[in-house]
Amino acid sequence: MAPIVQEQQSPEQDTLESLFVVDADVHIHEDPAGMADYAPSPWDVALREIAKVPERYLDLPGMSPRAEYRVPWPGGSNRKQTVDSASEMRSGLNDLNVDRAVLFPDHLLALAMVRDPRFAVALAQSYNAWLRDHWLLAEPTLKGSLVIAPQDPVASAEDIRRHAGEPEFVCVYLPASGVRPLYGHHVYEPVYEAAAEAGLPVVMHSVEAVYPTFPFQLEVFQTSLAQHAVAHPFSMMANMISLLETGVPVRYPDLGIGIMEAGISWVPFMLNRLDKEYTERRREVPFLQERPSHYIKRWYFGTQPIEEPENRGDIVKLFELFDGAERSMFASDWPHHDFDHPQYVFGLPFSPSDRRAIMGGNAARFFRLEA
Amino acid sequence: MPREYVVARTSEIPEGSHRIVRVGRREIGVFNMGGVWHAIPNLCPHQRGPLCEGAISGTLGYGPDTDWKLDWVHEGEIVTCPWHALEWHVPSGRCLAFPDMRLRKFPTRVDGAEVRVIL
Ligand code: FES
Repeated sequence: MAPIVQEQQSPEQDTLESLFVVDADVHIHEDPAGMADYAPSPWDVALREIAKVPERYLDLPGMSPRAEYRVPWPGGSNRKQTVDSASEMRSGLNDLNVDRAVLFPDHLLALAMVRDPRFAVALAQSYNAWLRDHWLLAEPTLKGSLVIAPQDPVASAEDIRRHAGEPEFVCVYLPASGVRPLYGHHVYEPVYEAAAEAGLPVVMHSVEAVYPTFPFQLEVFQTSLAQHAVAHPFSMMANMISLLETGVPVRYPDLGIGIMEAGISWVPFMLNRLDKEYTERRREVPFLQERPSHYIKRWYFGTQPIEEPENRGDIVKLFELFDGAERSMFASDWPHHDFDHPQYVFGLPFSPSDRRAIMGGNAARFFRLEA
Repeated sequence: MPREYVVARTSEIPEGSHRIVRVGRREIGVFNMGGVWHAIPNLCPHQRGPLCEGAISGTLGYGPDTDWKLDWVHEGEIVTCPWHALEWHVPSGRCLAFPDMRLRKFPTRVDGAEVRVIL
């Protein structure tokens, strides 16, 4: 019995406080009036109009289109699910023991569904500049994801080049909710070229929405339980397949690719499914030199919303099925409704070195962060 | 030995309201539900969220108690965790989503104008 006790008390015993914790996905709340100061005319006027409209959670008329429908029962969480300033974010993350965090937007999660491409570009560009000045420069432990407007990949590439070399930004964010065409399409080549040139990985992140584009025709469901269960993973599956079928990882071998907010349990399924198809249909994707799973195993995955099986050890097995311990990054999604407390992921039965990698090491490598 | 702690005056927690009190290192939610008092830990068994900071409401039920029809039930008896919105039935300590999860319930006693929790 004695050796077991010794092992538990060895210096290997990390705590959440002692670890370097990187949170790969937290959300900030946009201030349309603040963004207006960075928007070219006439879009500054539109943003100032938007600032006058009362908003709801992830729902701001004019800026975040999503055909949401919910029966208004009382109850649900009464927590404030928005963060409005860098200092508020820092203090929330202090409570979570998070050392560094990568910021993603709230309303602009829906950017790909904005209809007017000129407005979409103005939103992306003004957000990026506003983000840098009001959040990233104010609190250096917060890092930025540079949002693109998929409606105009050329203008988006220009914006990536504009910010290339600013150490405040650590990735390019590809809004995936309602995006059409999917991200493997050749129209996005300027974005991948600019991101690769700037040395920035790209990160796909979706949001629940009902929208007439695959896979968001979620009006077939009656409840948000059903819609939310599939909105994120289906979107990530669709874009993962799309990137693979057009060979993005082959054409941009140095481009880091990350996936957020879809959990991880679907990843082993997708790898096996694609490998199986590949045996029969390789000739359609002759640029792939290896089985699809070999490419995808180089991608990085945010853990949130981490699965909560009855047997917590099952999560470790799921990670093993896609080499997840080397590529997964703890993500809380703070302060959103389904955020994960780092204590839960920290407490999963990983080996000490895998735990350190998942809680911070992998993200530090992917985003090139200094400890 | 269990001890009684005075945690509030009855007038401070009117019917239909609740408040979080501190006893030693413990935070306890004290609820006045129609004149019946309940005390539960301010700690959600899910991911240790501050459960009693949640709102009180009823909820949707469907089963033998509602004659197998969708109905609004337990009005004023459900506290919803502010972190991930798990619903808890305060009088029984039951978690509605996961019946195997239960809250510890501390006995209470009203003595004159004082609400006491027994730990
Ligand atoms: S901590 Fe209470 S629902 Fe998660």
